[in-house]
Amino acid sequence: MNWTTIAWSMGASACLTLAIVHLVIWCKQTDQPAHLLFSVTAISGAAIAAAELLIMHAQSPEQLGRVIWWAHIPVFFLFASIVGFVRVYFNAGRAWLGYAVCGLRLLEDVIINFFSVPNVNYVQITGLRHLRILGGETISLAQGVENPWVRISELSSLLFLVFVVDASVTLWRRGHPGERRRAVIVGGSMILFILVAAGTSALIEAGVMQSPYLISFSFLAIVAAMGYELSSDVVRAAQLARKLQESDVALRESEQNMALAASAAELAMWMWDIPRDEVWITDKGRALFGFAQSDKINFDRFLDVVHPEDRNTVRRARGNAVDGAGEYESEYRVVLPGGQARWIVGRGRVEFSCGKPVRMRGVSFDITRRKQAEEHFELLVEASPNAMLLMNTEGKINLANAQVEAVFGYTRQELVGHSVEMLIPERFRSQHPSYRNSYFSDPKARAMGAGRELYGRRKDDGEVPIEIGLTPIRTSEGLFVLASIIDITERKQAEMEAARQRNELAHHSRVMLLGELSGSLAHELNQPLGAIVTNAGAALRSLERDKMTPEKFREVLEDIVADGRRAGDVIRSIKGMLRKVEGTRQLVNLDNVITQTLRLTQADALAHDCTVLTEFRPALSKVQADVVQLQQVFLNLILNAFEASKDVPKLQRRVIISTERDGDGAVRACVRDFGAGLPAEASERIFEQFFSTKREGMGMGLFISRSIVAAHGGTLCAKNAEGGGAQFWLRLPASKEMNV
Amino acid sequence: MIFADARVYVVDDDVSMLKAIGRLLESEDYSVEMFTGAREFLARAPHTGPSCVILDLNLPGLNGLELQQALADRGLGEQIIFITGGASVPTCVQAMKAGAVDYLAKPFRDEDLLCALEQALARSSERWLQSSQRKKVCERLITLTPRELEVLKLVIKGMLNKQIASQLGTTEATIKVHRGRVMEKMGVTSVAELVILAQTAGIAPAATDTTKV
Repeated sequence: MNWTTIAWSMGASACLTLAIVHLVIWCKQTDQPAHLLFSVTAISGAAIAAAELLIMHAQSPEQLGRVIWWAHIPVFFLFASIVGFVRVYFNAGRAWLGYAVCGLRLLEDVIINFFSVPNVNYVQITGLRHLRILGGETISLAQGVENPWVRISELSSLLFLVFVVDASVTLWRRGHPGERRRAVIVGGSMILFILVAAGTSALIEAGVMQSPYLISFSFLAIVAAMGYELSSDVVRAAQLARKLQESDVALRESEQNMALAASAAELAMWMWDIPRDEVWITDKGRALFGFAQSDKINFDRFLDVVHPEDRNTVRRARGNAVDGAGEYESEYRVVLPGGQARWIVGRGRVEFSCGKPVRMRGVSFDITRRKQAEEHFELLVEASPNAMLLMNTEGKINLANAQVEAVFGYTRQELVGHSVEMLIPERFRSQHPSYRNSYFSDPKARAMGAGRELYGRRKDDGEVPIEIGLTPIRTSEGLFVLASIIDITERKQAEMEAARQRNELAHHSRVMLLGELSGSLAHELNQPLGAIVTNAGAALRSLERDKMTPEKFREVLEDIVADGRRAGDVIRSIKGMLRKVEGTRQLVNLDNVITQTLRLTQADALAHDCTVLTEFRPALSKVQADVVQLQQVFLNLILNAFEASKDVPKLQRRVIISTERDGDGAVRACVRDFGAGLPAEASERIFEQFFSTKREGMGMGLFISRSIVAAHGGTLCAKNAEGGGAQFWLRLPASKEMNV
Repeated sequence: MIFADARVYVVDDDVSMLKAIGRLLESEDYSVEMFTGAREFLARAPHTGPSCVILDLNLPGLNGLELQQALADRGLGEQIIFITGGASVPTCVQAMKAGAVDYLAKPFRDEDLLCALEQALARSSERWLQSSQRKKVCERLITLTPRELEVLKLVIKGMLNKQIASQLGTTEATIKVHRGRVMEKMGVTSVAELVILAQTAGIAPAATDTTKV
């Protein structure tokens, strides 16, 4: 036994051992072809080592030629398997280079070699060259004529080198640390040892180097590098497996936790295997959908339990998710075996592999209660006799009921999702957002636009008078406001009709009052007329007697003009009172109204021997009022006061009319007499219709007066004054700027 | 016709009316005094001579009718013409019953007022005359002794001296002396004149004692 035999045998056996190990690994993991390819490489390496050993100990040129001839078969497999290994394990290298290397090898090592004698290396082996090497051993080498075909072998080796370099560079460039190490160790060793093998072979064949062929050892190094990498993969795999096992435990725990949480949250978890159309679902889910434990569930089975009206919704949602959206969400009803329906929401996510949907995981839960609440809310809104609108903070309409359609003429589809401003007349529209913002800054249930008259805009551009109540509603989706809208067209008309009737009645009452006053009014007129006639008569007489000087004449005429004016004023006052006015309001001074009224009652005061005193508070606020109607009220109160003074001794008969402020710009007026006062039980009844303490009274005066004052937003009340007599208090609110 | 020393008063709270009436009366040369209220009028100095008040019915304070009553109470014989802006039948009746000369509704014709005024002044001056006569008679009556007054009352009854003497229980001659004194003091020459004077003074003839006849 010499050392070469030992060394080459050991190399071969090492290769074989590695080959067997990885063959076994490959058998267990057939999806890892790298192991198989490595085994082939290693076996080929072992075969080449055996061939080299036989060459070294060849006894004859024929024997040597034969061994070389055979050695080409493992060489072919070696190259082919390494090319395969690089492609598979590096996942790199140009395929055409690999095919070119393998093709050239096939051509040279198998086809040409098959037809060559003694082999593709030599045309003829002339003899054996004996060489003494280290350790005093003698080995054989071939000596003969070189076969030109062997150039193909060299070309293929060159291509192989290019292929490996290219693959290693590609691998390196990918930048991953594991891959870079692989590129250095495996790729680098391949490059190095191919160069060594080719170099030594060339040197030996040229006779420069006195050594046996080291091809097998070079490849042994490559095999070792490959083996090292592969075994570290195996080690890593084992580590991963252990970690996996650990994480598996953790996963199971977290799965259990999740299931527990899901169960507690009444969540059903499911997974739909799309290619196989199989649905896995938790027990909770089976209960939720009404599936039996034994049911095999697929999508169609699932659709079976969905309410027929909702099936299309679900199909659409699934279609969108699977066709690329990835997210699935759908609300639908499920009909349970008992026939009752249950609202469910399902949410899921589709997992894609290579652009194809493979599975969808998700959860489903019961939203019946929420849906019922929503339904109840919608039913309530729908059933409301008022028009109801639900809006968000931006003024977008979320919900509208049938009454809204009736009031505004829009259909719900035209309203929902649009801004509520479309329902506001153009002239108010620009202010609305600021009103809305101020409402949402302090949302509480209240009437909208307090004090203002509100109008809505109909689809036909007509306006409708409305009243609006606002209620804030807080939901999980944010703050909303529910507007309850009442069409007050009819009420407005009724109000107008009532106002018309009140005016009519007031007018009748005024005419009657003037009737009562007619004697006094005649006196009021006769006084200036008498003066005019008498003045004129006096002037005529003076003229006849030539006693008239121009100065005197002027004086007389001036007096006549003044009295004529006076008579005109009286007539105008009467005409004003008789006019049928339709509530034309203006800003008036209460004192002026009273003074004008007193002009009409002067004669009546005289007739009743009543002194009228006025105590006007200076700089009183003006009030918004219908002058004629207000005069009527005072006329009524003053005449009543005269009437009440009848039983008072003549010299004590007086009526005091005073005005004063009453806070907030409101004004009060008081008409006070010194009569018997109000009967205790009648202090409110005097304002009733047909109630009168006077024998010839109609009992309408105070009733109408109060209604007039009420129409002005004021109050009229009576009480007995300290020191005797009655006081009638009239209060009118301060005039506000007319606001829309 | 203008009455000498006649005076016209106008009382009206309406100054314009007051001035107009004043102008009218002055153009007719009446002596006019004007007042705007009843109290001012009552406070004036009394006028001796015929007078008339043109009085507005509707006066503040004391009204026309009340003023009429007050004037009647004072008995100065002013005649009253009422003027009013708002005539009413009841007040008119009341005023006329209380002795008003006329009742004119404003506006009135100036001749109506002037005519009423003339009538009023005529009545007033007649009254004034009568009262001045009565005054004279009374002044004379005061000079009579009680016996003479007794005799006068019996004389105007138409009794003879003898009858008077028998009634008074004295002699006819004594009665004749008394009678002569009475006639002298009263400034009359005949029994007829004496009767008229006694009537003017409101002295009634003495009651007849028929039992003694």
